[in-house]
Amino acid sequence: MEILKIMLVDDEERFLLTTKKLLSKKGYEVFTASSGAEALEKLKKQNIHVVILDVKMPEMDGMETLKKIKKHFPLVEVIMLTGHATVESAVDGLRSGAIDYLMKPADIKELIEKSEEAFEKRKRLEEKIRMAQAKRIMKSPRQIIKGL
Amino acid sequence: MKNDYYKSIGKTILKAIILTPGIPFILILGIGYYYFTTSIQTTSIDNIKRIVEDHRHMIESFMDERKSDLEFVMNSYSPAELVQPEKLSKILLDLQKKSDAFADLGIFNGEGLHVAYQGPYRLKGKSYKDAFWFKEVINRNYYISDIFLGYRQVPHFIIAMTNTVDGEKWIIRASIDSHIFNKLVEKVRIGKTGEAYLLNTKGILQTACRSGGNLMDKPLDNIDHIEKYSGIKSFIKKDFTGRKFVYSTTWLKNKNWLLVARQEKADAFSAFNAALYLIITILVIGGVIITAVAFYLTTRIVRRLERVDLEKENINQQLIGASRLAELGEMATGFAHEINNPLQVMKSEQSLMEMILSDFKENGQLPESENLKELEDSMKQIEVQIGRCSTITQAILKFGRQKDILDAKLDAQDFIPEIVNMVTNAANDNGIAIHQEIENRLPPIKGDPAQLQQVLLNLLNNAMYSMVEKHGVQGGELFIKAESDDNGKMKIQVRDNGVGIDEENLKKIFSPFFTTKPVGKGTGLGLSVCFGIIDKMGGIMEVESKKGVGATFTITLPAAT
Repeated sequence: MEILKIMLVDDEERFLLTTKKLLSKKGYEVFTASSGAEALEKLKKQNIHVVILDVKMPEMDGMETLKKIKKHFPLVEVIMLTGHATVESAVDGLRSGAIDYLMKPADIKELIEKSEEAFEKRKRLEEKIRMAQAKRIMKSPRQIIKGL
Repeated sequence: MKNDYYKSIGKTILKAIILTPGIPFILILGIGYYYFTTSIQTTSIDNIKRIVEDHRHMIESFMDERKSDLEFVMNSYSPAELVQPEKLSKILLDLQKKSDAFADLGIFNGEGLHVAYQGPYRLKGKSYKDAFWFKEVINRNYYISDIFLGYRQVPHFIIAMTNTVDGEKWIIRASIDSHIFNKLVEKVRIGKTGEAYLLNTKGILQTACRSGGNLMDKPLDNIDHIEKYSGIKSFIKKDFTGRKFVYSTTWLKNKNWLLVARQEKADAFSAFNAALYLIITILVIGGVIITAVAFYLTTRIVRRLERVDLEKENINQQLIGASRLAELGEMATGFAHEINNPLQVMKSEQSLMEMILSDFKENGQLPESENLKELEDSMKQIEVQIGRCSTITQAILKFGRQKDILDAKLDAQDFIPEIVNMVTNAANDNGIAIHQEIENRLPPIKGDPAQLQQVLLNLLNNAMYSMVEKHGVQGGELFIKAESDDNGKMKIQVRDNGVGIDEENLKKIFSPFFTTKPVGKGTGLGLSVCFGIIDKMGGIMEVESKKGVGATFTITLPAAT
């Protein structure tokens, strides 16, 4: 079974460190980034499934980072971590392509649950993509040969 | 504290209002008094002086006339003619026609023998050789005596003069009836107490004195009469009775008599006293009026000040509701946001610690012990307290992030019962009876349904909480009333019979973070948020309460246009 790869993006270093330990202990593969730019950089190198993204960050903020992630890595699922209590700020995130949101201070269990959900969704999506590709191959097996 | 402040302001205003007109008022009266009384005094004294002057002239001319009468007789007739009784009698009659004052007429030879006499007494043949007047007239040729009694024992004075005919001296003498002479002087009447009299050089009265003091007595007041002077002297002096008199005195020219006119000071200055009383009256009345007006104005000003201050305070309190609430919201939001980050870290740390702890336990590295239990309990507490903090920050963020108001039309008839239904179960469980009084034809109001719902639920929940606190699960009475007022506005009232709110808390009830609930039970933001919502809707939220009786919250909302 594929291991869930989670990336935490927050400017709070200690949060990254501790949460990484926690999630690692639970058996997840955890990456961290302390800024939006760093997150985008790491996404290029690693096949990360789920990103937990803090809304409020210096320089490139969460919303901007989200848009860039969705643009360049559409398959990556993003969960917004918001300090705002109201649904409105989360709604903006959801509209821009986030799959879910968490309110600070978020419970680790909740974080894992939502990450798993997102991962499931991603897996289903990947499955669909594979199925679609398989169908295409079935339709014209010659292309495979061509491709070779 | 506050009363003292108003008292001191009142005192200052009172002083200013009394002194500002008071000082010029007293100055004007004082100056007026000074000039007025000085002028009255001068006039009164001048008056007496004039009287003295006039009378002196009168007396002097009387004397001069009598003297010239005698001179005329002396020069017109020879001594031989004058000694004839018929002749002398006729002459006396002639003289008496001119003046009643002539009492008798006598002729004397150089030896002082009364050679002829015409008059009511039998004086002929008496010798006056040693009489004082006789000696004086021989020496000076002319003499006017002081008043004396003489042989006849009747007060009179004499005018005598000598003439020398054929080397022989003879003397003519007339007695002047002092009674008639008296009248001349006595006639003088000034005011009620004014009088005049004559004194000789020895200070003996030459006329009677109205105020007492008979002819030829010493007068009862000691006038400084010895020194002779010309002109008129005026002075104020106490007499024997101790009363003050205004005196005017002058010496007669042809006789060493002092004419004294006097009037009691109080009488002479009666106008002065009248002026004094008038001024005192004006002063008292004016003073009373000024003081009364000052008190009246001060009371009014201070009352108005108190009212203005009170209004200002009320406005201030309302301002807390509006602008300060927004400011506070912004500040609190930033604060809560910043707190959330460390809270997040703490939460993660706590989770990690718990995880490590349970790992240890699973591995058997940590045997069960009392300390371990305590540690686990502490860990749990940290989690609980972080949860509490996060509840507060969430509430603050909610409070700060008040959304824009939707402008929807709402029908209270439908809207309110729907909300009340949401709490009916809870109310039933707590033995609270709900009474709804919703007017039938309420105008639609303008507002945000979701937010208005939040406000009403908050009020209903507060009411129920308060009633349970007071009555337990039996006896709560909750009234929800909606009615429109004359201006088309709608009033929604939520009234309970719970514990009520005391006066001190009533002031702070809409302030953020103010709560009377036990620690951890309330954030103190509910009513403050409600207030903000209603304010944004253009409405007003008010509260009335009495400790122990219950509370009434009233929301007034504008009608939909």
